[in-house]
Amino acid sequence: MAQTAVSTEANQQVLSQHLLLSVAEQIKLPLLQIARQAELAALSANPANLDRIQTTADMALHLLDSYVLGVRLATDTDQLFETEPVSISSVLYDVGSKLQPLARAYDVKLDMHLDGKYGPVMAHREGLLSALVSLGYALIEALPAIERPQLRLQLAAHRCRYGVVAGLYCEAEELSTEALRSGRELYGRARQPLTNLSAGSGAGVFVADALLRAMQTELTVSRHHKLRGLGAVLQPNPQMQLV
Amino acid sequence: MAKILLIEPDRILAHTYFEALTHAGHAVQICATAQGAIFCADDICPDVVILELQLVGHSGIEFLYEFRSYPDWQNVPVIVATNVPAGEFSGSWKLLRNQLGVSQYLYKPLTNLKKLLSTVQDFVPSTLNQ
Repeated sequence: MAQTAVSTEANQQVLSQHLLLSVAEQIKLPLLQIARQAELAALSANPANLDRIQTTADMALHLLDSYVLGVRLATDTDQLFETEPVSISSVLYDVGSKLQPLARAYDVKLDMHLDGKYGPVMAHREGLLSALVSLGYALIEALPAIERPQLRLQLAAHRCRYGVVAGLYCEAEELSTEALRSGRELYGRARQPLTNLSAGSGAGVFVADALLRAMQTELTVSRHHKLRGLGAVLQPNPQMQLV
Repeated sequence: MAKILLIEPDRILAHTYFEALTHAGHAVQICATAQGAIFCADDICPDVVILELQLVGHSGIEFLYEFRSYPDWQNVPVIVATNVPAGEFSGSWKLLRNQLGVSQYLYKPLTNLKKLLSTVQDFVPSTLNQ
């Protein structure tokens, strides 16, 4: 099992007050949704949509959990952060099952596309899962806000020259390297750093970025067939490569 | 019954506000973007607009500049219901009120549905209340 020390840069990012502020701003949304849905049920004397309330609460809990995981990975200096061989398809299936309820609530069609079979990649499984779910939440919430006729999000993996890319893809042209670069620059300074992608703080994207940096990779913009997306470049397990 | 243009980027919140406003007897059209909202306004000729300032792409302020540039819409009441706290744009409040004709500011996290409905009611043209 490989062990990887977390870089100081990753520490700084995950622990930054900017990220905490971004998460706090983002958490307001699901809380607001829950409060207003409960109030609507009382006002209209109709039963509350409990499924939707549960989904929004789960979204808030997941974002907080991912943030806490990132902080733990970055601060736990006694126990070095361990990477292990991880099956990408298994992680993507888990991500899909966690995202499906929110996708339904936002009328986004979520599907999966795996180009071929992959050997294990080196990752921190929980960290990778959390990063992709956080990213998925952010994109599901963003898609209806940019008024695309096709609200479709695809979980996908494919090989590239640097390794295997696992990520989330859609038809939004707004997903570009430039948008991510300017988002990273504005993050912490602007209320809405991903101006063309998210109406909020975009915390899900930045939490995913911080978690992936703690795994010594980072969020990258990539293309999958005709779709654009955000994902992580992961390295195949060297032992499996020898075999 | 008033025709309300609701400009809200979050689909779940938009749906919740839609239900509350239609339950109160209004006809509501939801739009998520500033550009879409201009087309919607052209379609429905709203009596009241409820606007979130933080939108994807063009902002709510940009929407207001465009909206107010048409003579037909210069007197339509606009209620800003936003996640942006008042302190963050206190410097530009004069611009919002005097030049862009914002009728009321509501901070969304602290505005319940009752308050939103009563504020809308305050700005519904009196002819529609009779």
